[in-house]
Amino acid sequence: MPSADDIALIGWSISPMVRNTDKTEAQMLLEVITGAVEDAGITRREVDFTCAGSCDYVAGQAFSFVQNIDAIGAWPPKRDSHVEMDGAWAMYEAWLRLQLGDIDVAVAMGSGRSSTADPALIYPMEMDPYYLAPLGTDAASFSALQARALLDAGKVTERQMAEIAARCRRDAQGNPHAQVTGDFDVDALLAEDYVRSPLRRHDLPPITDGAVAVVIARADKARELCENPVWISGFAHYSELHYPGMRDLTSSPSTTLAAKAAGLEEAPVEVAEIQSAFTHEEPLLVEALGLGDDVAVNPSGGPLAANPIMATGLTRVAEAAAQIRDHGKHRTLAHSTSGPCLQQNLVCILEGGDK
Amino acid sequence: MTEVVQATIQFPYKRSLGPVVGAFMTALTDRRIIGIRSGDRVISPPLEWDPDTAEELDHDFVDVGPAGTVESWSWVATPTEQHPLDVPFAFALVKLDGADTAFLHAVDAGSIDAMSTGMRVAPRWRAARIGHITDIEAFVPGEEPVVPDDDGGAVDEPVTMMDYNASITYTLPVTPNAKRAEEANDEGRFLGLKCPECGRTYTGGKGYCPVDAIELTSEYEVDLPQVGTVTSYTIITPVQYPGQTETEPFSRVHVWLDDTDVILGYQPLVDVPNADVRVGMRVAAVWASEAEKADLASTAEGSLLGWIPTGEPDVDDPTLVDRIQ
Repeated sequence: MPSADDIALIGWSISPMVRNTDKTEAQMLLEVITGAVEDAGITRREVDFTCAGSCDYVAGQAFSFVQNIDAIGAWPPKRDSHVEMDGAWAMYEAWLRLQLGDIDVAVAMGSGRSSTADPALIYPMEMDPYYLAPLGTDAASFSALQARALLDAGKVTERQMAEIAARCRRDAQGNPHAQVTGDFDVDALLAEDYVRSPLRRHDLPPITDGAVAVVIARADKARELCENPVWISGFAHYSELHYPGMRDLTSSPSTTLAAKAAGLEEAPVEVAEIQSAFTHEEPLLVEALGLGDDVAVNPSGGPLAANPIMATGLTRVAEAAAQIRDHGKHRTLAHSTSGPCLQQNLVCILEGGDK
Repeated sequence: MTEVVQATIQFPYKRSLGPVVGAFMTALTDRRIIGIRSGDRVISPPLEWDPDTAEELDHDFVDVGPAGTVESWSWVATPTEQHPLDVPFAFALVKLDGADTAFLHAVDAGSIDAMSTGMRVAPRWRAARIGHITDIEAFVPGEEPVVPDDDGGAVDEPVTMMDYNASITYTLPVTPNAKRAEEANDEGRFLGLKCPECGRTYTGGKGYCPVDAIELTSEYEVDLPQVGTVTSYTIITPVQYPGQTETEPFSRVHVWLDDTDVILGYQPLVDVPNADVRVGMRVAAVWASEAEKADLASTAEGSLLGWIPTGEPDVDDPTLVDRIQ
């Protein structure tokens, strides 16, 4: 039986994932918050705490999250917080907040309209402002440097990377929230030009507008509201040095530490939804997490099928939770990452039943 | 087809460098690359703290490079406007001779075929160096640094500040509600939206009731009155930041439209001396004539010029100042 201090997901909602939405960020959030609280069988009035993950540089507006509060229905006033990080970290804060024990229900959300501007120009603004940002270091360039390191170390091949892209987009055909889906021929993919050598277009995630919201609750409330809560059995994140040249890019020790702290070793997981937005990151993360061949990785298609910046990680949590509630799995893992070349990593372990 | 609005935002940052990054930038002007000792390691570019223990490092700087070995690289076939070169180039992690970490910079190799892991590269120095990471234009294949004939030499004083300028063009959707409110303004009307649940009235551009968090579509539109009462004001003494066009102190008022919950914030008054601005003033909207519209910049206020006193007696209600939203 879960203790009173255990916390569970009791509802969630993922927006359509599209290249260019005609909605504002607040409107996208309005829909997914409504969807998540309805999924949980409650209204906004029963939510005690909200925490959002979004990025002003992506939105093109200072304090853009203030406008997003309109989507929360913050009257009477609500306890609210915001992280300039993926919504997975917003959920982490909400999870911590509920552990204080004085309130029962929280909503965490993530949102991003990547179509607002060229992501390759936005990304450098978030890097070290002395040594990296003035060079215009974009996400694809950083990722390509890590991919080359892995290729040179023999940890992956370009063919394996193309196979990962093809598998993810094939699996995504069953996912109503996916943006890029289909059957792709690996040889044809490998015949394409590089975007950032050694990365080809298929190795990169799509540019996606989207949002996601989840409802979490303390144990007694979760059981009162929900027949099949998805329990958060472990939740942790670790960070490494920011500057990629000062790290071994062929390993991800922060992922390994987060997995250990979240209790991954205690029992096997059946599914892992990981934020591998670039193909080469999948084998690196699978190795760092110590996942065996029997673990299904990103059956939703993962970030290679839809990559709503600031919501990609929290979408992994929602997908991993859906595997338990809707697809009969017992224990799943969600992963999120932040920073250049997988600098910071978060692991969330979910369980069904009564633990 | 969704209507969009484009806005280019400049990000002009001035950053102080501190004793470690400042020393690094100053050394660049002298065509030297320095690292910092951290235990048994030499870290370059230098950090202020030990990455393992977070202890502040002694300022024990050592020259590294200038040549080094490429540890990883990526070919950028189509540079962005923020990249250091406007021709195809490589980003590379270069382990400079004498350093234990890799330095991220551009390699100007001419062709992807000239790039390989393990290749040797050396810096090509900019002639006019100011203490900035781009004082190194790029690394080039080989062992020898490239120094321009018109080399400007080192700076006289230590470098303590750096500029970082970025410019990003954003494209944002104009929602149908915002569009309709804008059109109403062009016609000299204030469009409002009345929430069917709580009965509150909002200005027309909003897409939803923020209290009930429900979408407000065109069926809930109402025309708002054009007369109201000043609930609060401020006199602003302009600081000449980029974009500020006012030169003399000017007022901005909050106007509570009659018989609604709508407060229009930060509104300009027309032809009212600052000394005469007060809470409780009755004011009416002034719209631009067709002739004046042509001269107006495209702003959120549309063709509203501001507010003019109606001449009615002031509203004497001390709670007015509570109404600012």
